[in-house]
Amino acid sequence: MKNIIIILISIILTGSVFADELNVVTTYPYIASIVEQVGKDKVNVFALAKGEWDPHTIIPKPSFIAKLRKADILILNGAQLEIGWLPPLMRQANNSKIQVGTPGILDLSKHVELIEVPTAISRAQGDVHPDGNPHFHLDFKNIPKISTAIAHKLSEIDPVNKATYEQNNNAFLENYYQKEKEWTAALEKLRGTKVIEYHKIYDYLLRRVGLQLVGTIEPVPGISPTSRHIESLEKIISSNDVKYILQDVYHPDDASKYLSSKHNIKLKIIPHDIGAVSNTNNIFELFNEIVRRLIGD
Amino acid sequence: MNKLPFVLIAFSILINVNLSAQTEQQSGDDPFSQSKFVPDISFILDVSYLYRDIKNDDYNLFEVPGLIQSTLEESAHGHEHAEMNSRSGFNLNYGELVVASTVDPYFDLFGIFHLSSEGFGIEEGYFLTRSLPLGFQIKGGKFLSSFGRINEQHAHYWAFANMPLVYKSFFGSHGLSEIGMQINWVAPTDFYLMFGGELLQGNNETSFGADGFQDLSGSIKVSSSNAPNLYTGFMRTSFDVDNLTVLAGISGAFGKSRLNHGIDTDAPDGHAVYEDAKILNANLTLKYIIESYRDITFQTEFLNKITKGDLYYKDSIGTTMKGDISKDQSGLYSQLVYKFSQYWRIGFRYDLLMKNEIVRNSSTLDLPDFMPQLSSMIEYNPTEFSRIRLQYNHDRTKYFEDNLKINNEILLQINLSIGAHGAHSF
Repeated sequence: MKNIIIILISIILTGSVFADELNVVTTYPYIASIVEQVGKDKVNVFALAKGEWDPHTIIPKPSFIAKLRKADILILNGAQLEIGWLPPLMRQANNSKIQVGTPGILDLSKHVELIEVPTAISRAQGDVHPDGNPHFHLDFKNIPKISTAIAHKLSEIDPVNKATYEQNNNAFLENYYQKEKEWTAALEKLRGTKVIEYHKIYDYLLRRVGLQLVGTIEPVPGISPTSRHIESLEKIISSNDVKYILQDVYHPDDASKYLSSKHNIKLKIIPHDIGAVSNTNNIFELFNEIVRRLIGD
Repeated sequence: MNKLPFVLIAFSILINVNLSAQTEQQSGDDPFSQSKFVPDISFILDVSYLYRDIKNDDYNLFEVPGLIQSTLEESAHGHEHAEMNSRSGFNLNYGELVVASTVDPYFDLFGIFHLSSEGFGIEEGYFLTRSLPLGFQIKGGKFLSSFGRINEQHAHYWAFANMPLVYKSFFGSHGLSEIGMQINWVAPTDFYLMFGGELLQGNNETSFGADGFQDLSGSIKVSSSNAPNLYTGFMRTSFDVDNLTVLAGISGAFGKSRLNHGIDTDAPDGHAVYEDAKILNANLTLKYIIESYRDITFQTEFLNKITKGDLYYKDSIGTTMKGDISKDQSGLYSQLVYKFSQYWRIGFRYDLLMKNEIVRNSSTLDLPDFMPQLSSMIEYNPTEFSRIRLQYNHDRTKYFEDNLKINNEILLQINLSIGAHGAHSF
């Protein structure tokens, strides 16, 4: 019994004594990459989900509870993208710092403008998000808003390093604006191009680039395509000059492949997050790869 | 059970929701509008169609010797049962109303109400603390014990339509659902490590009991418990190796059993026990994530129940006698579930009751000690709010007058949920 108590006490102590870095847990890898840029060596960051998974349905592994237990800050995408997996993990983590309503939580969706906010809600429309489309990070102009919100949050929780966070964020932004100019210029030739996407995950990107969305492979969000829906897409294709089908890495691609080969439309796999495809190890590489895939043949 | 208060509660909830929805519509400038405070409310319905190659009336006479009494015998002893998937034909298994919200910065509150054809019951009603320091959490009220792995999960989260046999044998068809308190602590380690304990009233229909009894003549009397009667302790740990998640746990439940099966009636087989009961559990879950929508999960649990105490029974002329009784019983289940697309899962489960030793007045009863059941299922989940499941059970645990009655069942189950229903744990 004595030994057990000593072991337990030492676990408690080692958990807190070596915690001079800020423990930041993020739900998705893209957030972790931005935190790394802003926090650098002052933070220890961990992303729960992997970039190759469907962001709506993450398997809530118990190891995530251990990460949340030690978190000083939890940064989430918000707009109900995590509603299907995160709340029970937060409850089980027994960490008073990251409960809803405490300063330890940052909801990024509150710092950007959401599009496609539905006026009427029914689950007959599929997996609808009442607050609007949650995939806002794929608009590359939203990234500076996100990094600035992160810098403010890190400064609020760790005021001693406020100047460092601001400095890091400014350095990041300078770099980022440079890249953003290159991406905008490269994508300019796509303006007005008609595309189909699998799920409404690229809508923010399409708006930014000026791509015109004429249909989705899913009849409604979260529901796989039916043959009738594919027929209606074929009608759209025959009366529109659809150039590309955009598909994520996690949905089955048979419907997209069928339409692609039958109507001779290029199928493009577009990574939605870091790690979805190779060569997307940070936020810069993610957009480099998205741009490369969009403009490439 | 007096059902009226529960019905009133349900009504007032519904009326409140309705009213607040109206207030929101009517005026945005009501200075006292509380519509934004409506808790998360959801309703889950579970219905099934069962085909069994044994007639309902015959099936009701069957027992699992030494472990589960026949349905007929149970109702004779005053146990009303709303058991799931119990009859050939259509079954309304339950309607479940869930209300949950944050109380204040310190508490979350959950209410889970089961509406069955027999009545309106509080399945769970408990609070959780939100702000205790150092990784502690307290849970209190009526709740499903964190003993074992599957016990605290609600039926609609199970991979099969019915409870593993060993759980049903040891805890009855509602599992270990108790009134009391729990404290748990999550260690600040890189892997998941959790310890917890519970102090519970101890009123389980099968293994623990707090209510005393006396026979008709008043010659024997066992008084009711004046304090919590049941303790549990549990530990869980989990870690990942690449795409493989390992979750392992051990737990134990220790308490007093006062179980009255008609000692207070003139039934000739009326008897009662007053004993110490101990149930131990070890469980292991392995989940391998192949890709976003495909994974394989292996889950197994082993339970052992040991009891020792007094048996009260009637002799041939109806005089109450006191003897002794001890039990050593074990069972396990192992299941493999393969999710092979976004919408489909298949699974197999092997249930086994494997040790069945009952010693009564120093003589060992002659009981079967190898009772297996095989189940397989295929499941279609059109969305996360609906599920259709086809399940087949080959059951070799049912006996009638010491003869094995092999039972084959096919069931088609549909489970639907509406409203704001919270996500599930691992």
